[in-house]
Amino acid sequence: MKRITITPRNNWQSAVEKLGFGFHTTNVPYWDETVYYEMEMSEVLFIEKATAELWDLSLGAVQHVMDNNLYQKFGIPDWFIPLIEKSWIEDHPAIYGRFDLCYKNGEVKMLEFNADTPTSLYEAGIVQWFWLQDFDKNKDQFNSIHEKLIAYWKYLKNYLTTGTLHFTCLKETLEDLTNVEYMRDCAIQAGLETKLVFIDDLGWDSDSKQFLDLEGQPVKNIFKLYPWEWLLTDEFGKHIIEDSNRAFWIEPAWKMILSNKAILPILWELYPDCAYLLPAYFEEGKLTNYVKKPILSREGANINLVMKNISLQKTEGSYGAEGFIYQDMFTLPNFSDHYPVIGSWIIGQEPAGMGIREADTLVTDNQSRFVPHLIN
Amino acid sequence: MKKSKCIELVLITAVLASCNQPKKDWDDNNKVHLRSDTTAPYTRVHHGGLGVGTALLWYYAFRPYGNYNNGNYQRAGFYSGGISPMSNVGSNGFKGAVTRGGFGRGGYSVSS
Repeated sequence: MKRITITPRNNWQSAVEKLGFGFHTTNVPYWDETVYYEMEMSEVLFIEKATAELWDLSLGAVQHVMDNNLYQKFGIPDWFIPLIEKSWIEDHPAIYGRFDLCYKNGEVKMLEFNADTPTSLYEAGIVQWFWLQDFDKNKDQFNSIHEKLIAYWKYLKNYLTTGTLHFTCLKETLEDLTNVEYMRDCAIQAGLETKLVFIDDLGWDSDSKQFLDLEGQPVKNIFKLYPWEWLLTDEFGKHIIEDSNRAFWIEPAWKMILSNKAILPILWELYPDCAYLLPAYFEEGKLTNYVKKPILSREGANINLVMKNISLQKTEGSYGAEGFIYQDMFTLPNFSDHYPVIGSWIIGQEPAGMGIREADTLVTDNQSRFVPHLIN
Repeated sequence: MKKSKCIELVLITAVLASCNQPKKDWDDNNKVHLRSDTTAPYTRVHHGGLGVGTALLWYYAFRPYGNYNNGNYQRAGFYSGGISPMSNVGSNGFKGAVTRGGFGRGGYSVSS
């Protein structure tokens, strides 16, 4: 894995905007093509193998959490457990997830699993692919995200309730809308009837006990880019279990378990011999050098890197009320003070590609940049 | 070979490219008053922030809003998140039949 500095395309802003990528720059650059990472095919195959294995282990961990009723460790309320288990037993449709991996010195280590609402799908699947067409289209890239999404929507079509598949996200975020509209694009190409409704606009009919879109159409299948833990604490949260349509929510409720960092100590307890896992615990004091993470947090918030009882880096945020876990420290590789984390995608049941986000510190936060890659 | 051979997009480029139009033609002197429902009062919308005058018009499009009654669709009017709540719902009875806004209080972006 090499970090290579290049001159960006002259018209790169216009090139990515033509793709519908509107959040390439906020107050700081987000899409960064002044640099790319070059991977060997053997490295990509290694990451792919690790991703497939981690996915299998994750499914085993979900079953373990259910069998041993460990929901309390995840801060999951009792009233929602039946729906989580129902969605697992009935195998409700699920389509994707993103492992955040550290790749360094020939080792891959799982940092966490964004199993419920992973973002940067569009950047990974589309924007970096088109970048490669301009940069060197004869080169390869670990990226079959697009075709796998279309293929898996085709497969899932038979498992959805007949009718429309709604897509939803928050109204006032272009990043979320882009990810959702891209996913909807793939579903349309798979032959599904789709409709966008912002989650803020969803209605609840208390007479017929169903969710409605703005045209009064009942919601029977809904892809949401909105985390389960937010759904549950929202005013309409409890209506989900009252829903007379028993709508399929994608990702399904059981993904609450995998997207929660409490899964990390569970995975370690179950599979301590797995080379891709880091030691992780619910209790403080078992590790000398560790990363303290809230079980529910986003974008690197409320992370504390501790080495021999000294805090190396601590990020601010509003998370942590639900509890923390402690994960062995395995710092990101340093490329001239740039620290890349690999987001490795699972689409359906298969590894499908990767995207690299690069930060200037050891914690990948909301200031990190998306950087393209290619295979040499 | 790992990468997709060909990528075609049918929806997203048109929709999202429209979100990135320049903000020309709007300045602080524009005075625009809107309502989504003829039974609701007008309120002024402002450029920037949450108003309809932002470049991200896709968010603030007026969307049809209605109900099915005995299999027939009855349009109650239109709805937009870009204008004041008081201008979205007037005395229109259809709009009161279903509650909305019970999701979406969780945050500003899920970015993860």
